[in-house]
Parts: sequence; structure tokens; C-alpha cells
Amino acid sequence: MRKIQFIIAVLIGMFSVNMVQAQDDLSPERKQAIDSLALEKVRDLSKYISIIGSKTTPWSEANRVIDRADELFMAGAEIGVSSISRPEVAYYKVRQYFERLMRLNYDRVEIEWFKIEYVSDLQRQPDGTYVGVITIFQKFKGYDKEGGLVYEDTTKKDITVYVKRKETQIGGRIIGFWDVLLGDMRVKETSK
Amino acid sequence: MMQMKRTNISFQRISLIMLIVVIALGGATGCKSKKKLAREQAAAEYAARVEQATRDLTAILNDDNSWSLEEKERRFATIKGWNLQDENVVNLMDQVEDKLAQERADAMRKAEEERLRREEEERLQREAAKYNSVENQFMAIAAAPDVNTANEKIDQAMRLFASPDVPVLVIISQAGGFNDYDKPTTISKYLNYLKDQKVYNNRIEQVKYDGNGKIIELELIKK
Repeated sequence: MRKIQFIIAVLIGMFSVNMVQAQDDLSPERKQAIDSLALEKVRDLSKYISIIGSKTTPWSEANRVIDRADELFMAGAEIGVSSISRPEVAYYKVRQYFERLMRLNYDRVEIEWFKIEYVSDLQRQPDGTYVGVITIFQKFKGYDKEGGLVYEDTTKKDITVYVKRKETQIGGRIIGFWDVLLGDMRVKETSK
Repeated sequence: MMQMKRTNISFQRISLIMLIVVIALGGATGCKSKKKLAREQAAAEYAARVEQATRDLTAILNDDNSWSLEEKERRFATIKGWNLQDENVVNLMDQVEDKLAQERADAMRKAEEERLRREEEERLQREAAKYNSVENQFMAIAAAPDVNTANEKIDQAMRLFASPDVPVLVIISQAGGFNDYDKPTTISKYLNYLKDQKVYNNRIEQVKYDGNGKIIELELIKK
């Protein structure tokens, strides 16, 4: 009897290990799906930053969008701010960055992100989190009330992305999902 | 006189016998030539069939032809009907029979796969049509020209749902009957997301309704 119990325990153990391994060894299709998901979150952020920075966005809308944008980041994440007029880079907590962006002292602001791509592919860490780095180029233009361009720069920034598989219960069933969170956004270079 | 008459009769008899012999010999030789000709013709025909069979069977085996499966099967049946005893042909026929059986099985499998694909396509079209009204509302929000119009569209769409907190699941990949989801959100946040991002690039996979016909769970899938 003990022998049978031992064999069953071993089989259950092997089955569990296989299940965990199945989760760890992502097929190329699933890996591609989470790669795309992380890139999509960065593109979403790009749109949110454009909305928050725009002077035509109603205040209530901008605050709602700040909440959505803030949810994309890990707690404590920072965003770098640079200028072509000073060499140092200032880092702000995410919400603080968005609030400053909303209040920029221009009459019109245009912010556009381009060349959004992986500089370092998502790699699985020992704790199961996938970590990668996505680089973006941000074109910033600030205009005065006469419509004159008073400031512009292009900044290259690196964003660390963290993707972790989690589970939640919805409608009585367990849903496995990929939680994408953005980490620090570091300034790499700034040019006119 | 009598002697002359006897000699004449003997000569006539001998001539008659010789004539019979000549006719008999001549007729036999003619009959023999006809049989030989027939045998030669049959042999030539057999050789031609062996050659034709070898050529067709080799072409089928090497896929060195543009024949349909039906045409190959027709040619094979014809060759089989000839009942050729040539060892090479018999060997080729065995191989071709196996090959055609395999091709028939492949054709049937492909036909079945095509049937299933069409069925799945029709199912998706039916599903898409079923959710057209909801999809149209999503697209209208994404395409709204300004915030106020988008907010009006959101209010309209929200009437389809039991509450602003109805869960929205987005499938990002499906493999082996296993779904990978994006982080679940609510319908209120999702509709505002459409407004902000100005794009709707999902498709409705599944909808759950309550007793009042309001949506209580929405499952989308990335296109």
C-alpha cells in the first residue's frame, strides 16, 4: 500500500513539474504574443503622453489619462527629462512627470514617439519574470501663443519592461494573463 | 495401242496426285504464314503495352506528369486490365498502387481539412454577424472625431452592459486549446481606451448576458 502511495506521489510530482515546465518553455508563437503585448503597452503610453501634453485636452480628460498611464508603470518607476540647454538629466516619479507634462509652459505642445523597438529582447529571469528593454525616440515641440516654435528636441529613451504571468478569477474561472509593467524610462541621448 | 492408252492414264493419275500434293503443300504453307504473322502482331502489341505501362507507371512514381489523381487512377486501371506478366511492370504496379493509395488518403485528408476550414470561417462570420452591433459601437468610439463625440458614443455603448465594471478579457494568443490573456480590464476602462488610442483592432470572441439581455462578460481576441 505504501509502495502504491509512493508511486502515485512520484507521478503527481512529475506531472506538476511538467506543467510548470510547460509554462516556462514558451512556444515561439506565445513568446511573440507577449513581445507584441509589451510593445503595444509602450505605444499606448506614447498616445497617453501625447494626450496629457496636448493643451487642447480638457483637464478632467488629462487627469483620467494620467491615471491610465500611471497604471502602466511599476510602483516607484522614474522617467528622465532632458533638455538641449542643460547637460544633466532630471528624474521624476511617473505621476509627477505626467503632472509636470500637463502643466508645461507652452501654448501648444506636440509630442511624437517613433522607432519604438526592442533593444534587448524579453529574457526569462529565475523568478519567471520576462525582462527586456524597448527604445523609443521622442520628438518634442513647444510653441508660443503666436504659434512660433520656441523649443524642440529629439530624445532617445530606454524603457525597461517587465512581463509576468499571473492569475485571477473572473466569473468563477481562473484566467491566466500576462501582466506587463514598465520600469524606469532612462534618457540615452538628446539632440536638437 | 493398248499400251499407249495405259501409259496415258498413268501419266494423268500422277499429274493429279502431284497437283493435289502441290495444292496441299501450298495451302499448308499459307496457313502457317498467317499464324506466324498473328503471333508477331500479338508479340508487338504486348511489347508496346509493356513499354506504355512502364512509361506511365514510372511517370506516376516519379511525379513526372501533370495528371490529376483521377487520371492516374484511370491509367493504372487500364494497365491493370492488360494483365501484363512482365516482371518489371508487375513490380512497378505494386509501387504505384501503394503511391496512389497514399495520394488518395492525402487528397481525402486535404478535402476534410478544407471542409473544416470553411466551416470555421462560416462560424466566425456567423459569430461576427451576431456581435455586429457591439463591434460597430466600438469602432464608432475609436473613430470619433473629438472627445465629446467619443463620450456620447461611450454612453450609448455602455447601455449594452450590466455595469461599468463588466470584465473585459483580451486573448493575445491561442495555442493547443490554451488562451493567453492581456491583463483583464473593465468595460468602462476599455471604452475609454478605444477613445484614447483611436483604434479597435480586436474581434469579439464570446459574450455572456444576464437575464435582462445585458452583457456581463466580454471576451475579445486580437486580430
